[in-house]
Amino acid sequence: MPREERIVLSRTYEADVEDVWDLWTTKEGLESWWGPEGFRVTVHSVDLKPQGVMRYAMHAVAPQTIAFMKQHGLPTTTESRVTFTEVVPRRRLAYLHLADFVPGVAPYDVAHQIDLAVHGATVQLTLTIDRMHDEEWTKRAVMGWEMELGFLGKVLAGEKVK
Amino acid sequence: MAFQALADPTRLRIVELLRAGEQPVNDLVERVAVHQSGVSRHLRVLQGAGFVQMRPDGPRRLYSLRPEPFRELDHWLTAYRSLWERRLDRFEEVLARKTKARRARKEKA
Repeated sequence: MPREERIVLSRTYEADVEDVWDLWTTKEGLESWWGPEGFRVTVHSVDLKPQGVMRYAMHAVAPQTIAFMKQHGLPTTTESRVTFTEVVPRRRLAYLHLADFVPGVAPYDVAHQIDLAVHGATVQLTLTIDRMHDEEWTKRAVMGWEMELGFLGKVLAGEKVK
Repeated sequence: MAFQALADPTRLRIVELLRAGEQPVNDLVERVAVHQSGVSRHLRVLQGAGFVQMRPDGPRRLYSLRPEPFRELDHWLTAYRSLWERRLDRFEEVLARKTKARRARKEKA
């Protein structure tokens, strides 16, 4: 099973790197875009330093999202958190996202890294998501992931069917 | 893949138990602490969704996990990528508003 299990996304914005950084690292910034559609995010705390933790809650707000969660016996509010592993202001942010809300599945981490590079008036953002390569970890985690993404995917798909 | 099949705590528990290997229904009933008819119903749902398979052994029905759904890692990658693509779309919209506001402030000053 060991193989490349990494997602790399890159985008370029005509923007100030300060604004990009703020949107990724402040309560107000994160609350403005982080939650999946149909959800609102409340950030409880951001401790922006290595080993620091950001705690947040995801609330289903759109009526069809709430209906979907209830129909599938899922809570309409989910507490979650990320642990920062690297913080280089305006250059790099790395964190582990602990998914610990899937019933019956041990908590597991996925590594995310955001690199920012300024080219003139633009900022290039590269997001690297690494699911890690340990086979034991993979076995333990894959079901949780599929479930989490499955329900999020369904929520998102449901949004389209308005 | 019918993910919602796993969204039920009892079904998730059954899948967890089957990770240890093939098991007869009776053992599952005992360990899940749900009535036999309930367990059978959950197993039918799981079977329909492609997560488990059944093999008769005399009077016993033996259930085991099908490896295929758990091997579909590409699916995970695709789903997670698209989740982040959409998240970054929202990020881009918010950033554009922020940039506009920043420029307006600059022009004022």
